[in-house]
Amino acid sequence: MELLWLIPAWPLLGFLILTCLAARLPRIMAGSVGVGSVGAAALTALLMAWDFLKHQPGRNAFTQHLWTWLDVAGLHLEIAFYLDALTLVMIIVITGVGFFIHLYSLGYMAHDQGYTRFFAYMNLFVAAMLVLVLADNLPLLYLGWEGVGLCSYLLIGFWYTDPANGYAARKAFVVTRVGDTAMAVGLFVLYNQLGTLQIQEVMQRAAAAWPAGSTMALLTALLLLGGAVGKSAQLPLQTWLPDAMAGPTPVSALIHAATMVTAGVYLIARTHGLFLLAPTALTITAVIGAATLLLAGFSALVQQDIKRVLAYSTISQLGYMFLALGVGAWSAAIFHLFTHAFFKALLFLGAGAVIHALGGEQDMSRMGGLKQKLPLTFWTFLAGAASLAALPLVTAGFYSKDLIIWQAFASPRGGLGFWFMAVAGALLTALYTFRMVLLTFTGPARTPVHHPPGLVMRLPLLVLAFLSLTAGFLETPHSLGHMRVFSGWLHTCLPEAGLAAGREAYEILFELLAGLAALCGIFGALRLYHPLAKSRYSLPESLRQYWIKGWGFDSLYDRLVVRPYIHLAQFNKNDFLDLFFVFLAWLAKTGHQTLAATQNGRLRSYAWGLGLGAAAIAAMVVLL
Amino acid sequence: MHRPDFIALAPLLILALSAAAVMLAIALRRNHLSAMGLSLTGLGAALTALPLMARYTPRTVTPLLIMDHFALFYTGLILAATAVVIVLSYDYFSQKDDLPEEAYLLLLLAALGAVILVCARHVAALFLGLEILSVSLYALIAYTRDRNISIEAGIKYLVLAAVSAAFLLFGAALIYAHTGALDFQQLGALLKAEPSGRPALILLAGLGFLVVAVGFKLALTPFHMWTPDIYQGAPAPVTAFVATVSKGAMAALLVRLFTPTDLPHWPALYLFFTAMAAASMAAGNLLALLQTNVKRLLAYSSIAHMGYLLAALLFSGQKAAVVMTFYLTVYVVSILGCFGIIAILSSKERDADTCQDLQGLFFRRPLLTGVFTTMLLSLAGIPLTAGFIGKFYVVSAGVENAHWFLVIILVVFSGVGLFYYLRVIIAMFSPSLDEGLVPSPALPALSAPVVLTLTFLSTLVLWLGVWPSWFLATLEKMLG
Repeated sequence: MELLWLIPAWPLLGFLILTCLAARLPRIMAGSVGVGSVGAAALTALLMAWDFLKHQPGRNAFTQHLWTWLDVAGLHLEIAFYLDALTLVMIIVITGVGFFIHLYSLGYMAHDQGYTRFFAYMNLFVAAMLVLVLADNLPLLYLGWEGVGLCSYLLIGFWYTDPANGYAARKAFVVTRVGDTAMAVGLFVLYNQLGTLQIQEVMQRAAAAWPAGSTMALLTALLLLGGAVGKSAQLPLQTWLPDAMAGPTPVSALIHAATMVTAGVYLIARTHGLFLLAPTALTITAVIGAATLLLAGFSALVQQDIKRVLAYSTISQLGYMFLALGVGAWSAAIFHLFTHAFFKALLFLGAGAVIHALGGEQDMSRMGGLKQKLPLTFWTFLAGAASLAALPLVTAGFYSKDLIIWQAFASPRGGLGFWFMAVAGALLTALYTFRMVLLTFTGPARTPVHHPPGLVMRLPLLVLAFLSLTAGFLETPHSLGHMRVFSGWLHTCLPEAGLAAGREAYEILFELLAGLAALCGIFGALRLYHPLAKSRYSLPESLRQYWIKGWGFDSLYDRLVVRPYIHLAQFNKNDFLDLFFVFLAWLAKTGHQTLAATQNGRLRSYAWGLGLGAAAIAAMVVLL
Repeated sequence: MHRPDFIALAPLLILALSAAAVMLAIALRRNHLSAMGLSLTGLGAALTALPLMARYTPRTVTPLLIMDHFALFYTGLILAATAVVIVLSYDYFSQKDDLPEEAYLLLLLAALGAVILVCARHVAALFLGLEILSVSLYALIAYTRDRNISIEAGIKYLVLAAVSAAFLLFGAALIYAHTGALDFQQLGALLKAEPSGRPALILLAGLGFLVVAVGFKLALTPFHMWTPDIYQGAPAPVTAFVATVSKGAMAALLVRLFTPTDLPHWPALYLFFTAMAAASMAAGNLLALLQTNVKRLLAYSSIAHMGYLLAALLFSGQKAAVVMTFYLTVYVVSILGCFGIIAILSSKERDADTCQDLQGLFFRRPLLTGVFTTMLLSLAGIPLTAGFIGKFYVVSAGVENAHWFLVIILVVFSGVGLFYYLRVIIAMFSPSLDEGLVPSPALPALSAPVVLTLTFLSTLVLWLGVWPSWFLATLEKMLG
């Protein structure tokens, strides 16, 4: 386990090599370094997992101290990594899914100008993300947090020659900064109140210092929640994620579906001790999650751009995770994070294969008929879609989402309201997912196929499709075999979600209802969007536009924040504080000109200067 | 004179002998390389003599000279700086002048004068050293005879230096009239014995006129006006010599003269020194602000630096010698580097001393630009360079002794000064103005000794900037 540090070091090394050698590196080498570094990290992570399970370290966690980062005035920070079951799940997801996405990128980016740059950024991202989840203290976590934010910015704006991409990148950066700032303030408050930033220590001291429900606990939990909401694109900071689709599709798969956006979920799970002290914050988390999942679900239903459907779907699925966190179903949230990483990465990669094949076409109304032309892409995409729609029994998404839906009702913090929203969300999910599948792959072909995916793109699709279907068997409900591998493992570091009294009895009924909702959604989609379907129901145009624009949040923020700010900036264009400095510069310039006039090059005036100096000294001698 | 006296005087004797040897060699057969080789050998021999004679110090040799640790250190500095100037001169003169050999003769003589200055313990020795130095400089400044600007600079320097020498003699006469002594040590004792408050007018006036001469040589405001014209007119290596050896020797003399005296004891002098320091820092930095000629800019910058140096003298009392010597060494190294680069870039017709000449240098000569940038940053006092450490010691001495007025002036005008150093650096890193229109002048290939010298200088600047403790400890042991 002493090799833990290698996991983030591999991709960092890859980044350094790619950056330093850049143009001198032949394409084939750049690709192998980019993919190989993440592959090495994935192997190391598997080794760690093996070692961890075999040796079960004391207190179910292993800490590796590398060196002291800073030690000043009582603030002692270390570069130290903390490995427990939660971290292990995260690093396996990041390196495993990350590896397959890198592999896929070899094909997807093959003809791009910025090939080396792409892999450099991607490697840096993986390194930062690993630092985020391995961090032993909050500032180190924050370093990774900002690192992934930076890489997200760089990769959204990867094709920087189009100003729209640059705008999308800036938007993502600025909107998440709002959350990041809240989080930074949260760290300050924590340090100020508890005198430490080491995560485990913070939770222990908080539990000792603050009674449950105290204001301080609520304040810090809410500030951290602010950070999580920004990173995970939840209400009210969700607006950046749909625009973030401007980046290359593998980026969307890795950063904006499988890993970075789940950092908020990870953060809350990691600091669950703090949130348990603030029940109100947990309720707020659940409400945000439930509201987000519905709002994003409706928006996904009407999008025309295949990537935007997936983006809204990601927001919606992250909403499920927040709901699970809010009702105290910690391991259910992480389980959904785990399966979501597989099937959403798969869907993005499948969408990427389609976009690649159609020469950059993203509009679903110009697709269609691809089932015959791209059979492998179709079947794998279908597997991912079934998993996202939670097709009962055979998909991973069913088991994880079902767990959340059940616990939204059954957990002591849950209730019928949350359950109802979650089921409605499941229906919506199935509906929009199969709308997307049908529009893309069935019906008449509208755009010719240019490049069918090559081997390096097909292999990741197959592997991820397999995982999307089977990863769910790690955790099954009472009624279906009762596997507890995943939660049994996670409960070494996360508390178990109990059941409210008298609710176990309903389990089968509620599961049936949830499964039914998913099937209804799929059936509805077939009726509405299948090319052979007779009835074609369309929404009122105004509502459709409203949903396409994501419930008008963008224009609201534009009016509320952006425009007033621009007005203010324009008003103070010649910053009045600058006047002082302008005055200083003027003073120096005038002084220079006055003195420069004395340097006239004439010997006699220089001699005068000498004489005047001597006279001055003589005068001083006489007078003093 | 006994044998130890001769040994103690070895550096002076070797210098004088090698000057004579160079003169004879030229008379026999003109050869640029051998003239330079002879001079360098002489300097090298004098430098090697220093550690050997260290055993015989401190020793008073005749009533005129004293060889102590202080003299030893400064002699070493002068000899090393002269050697650097000679290395730079070889490349510089070999492409410009048909009769370059006498420059070495003059440089050796000037160095001899400077060494006498730092060893002086008597006003007569002071005058002797000063005149040997000055007379050599008149010729050196005007050495590029085909340039009007050099001739003009030579004449200006001649007239003004003569006036200042007159002040020196007059001041010395007044002092002698009052005390009957010209020996520094005797003078010091007599001055201490003077009743505080209002010492005799005639003595004070004498000291004041002495200060005029020192102030002129150091180019302290208001005696600074000659500097830019002479710096600009003189050939670049000679400018380097004026800026380093000539000023350094005079600064050393200042330290020797005034560290033992209790300056605040003499309000008139103290006030005048304070005013000179403040005015030099202000005028030097302000004058350099918009200057586009780099040689003139460095002239103004040196005025400011001499202001900082004088401030160090006022700040640090007993420790003045160490602080000032450190500062001066750093200044000498940085200035030598700057003028070295200008000398390298200069063409047969004129020196490369305008900002246009440096425009885009980075893209043609990245390493030279790196060295120049290091030197300029050191002069500006940016951390990781020796200049920062030097300035830091000056400021910390000022803060320690609560000389707030001068400290504030120093900090404010150092800030102003940053502007013009950065302007030069920016010019070097900006793309050339005439890119593609006019082929940029072919730069001469660098000779190995020049490369070696520049490497040595920049290593020194960075080394003293990162790890100054060894050098400081040595200085404290020698001078403390």
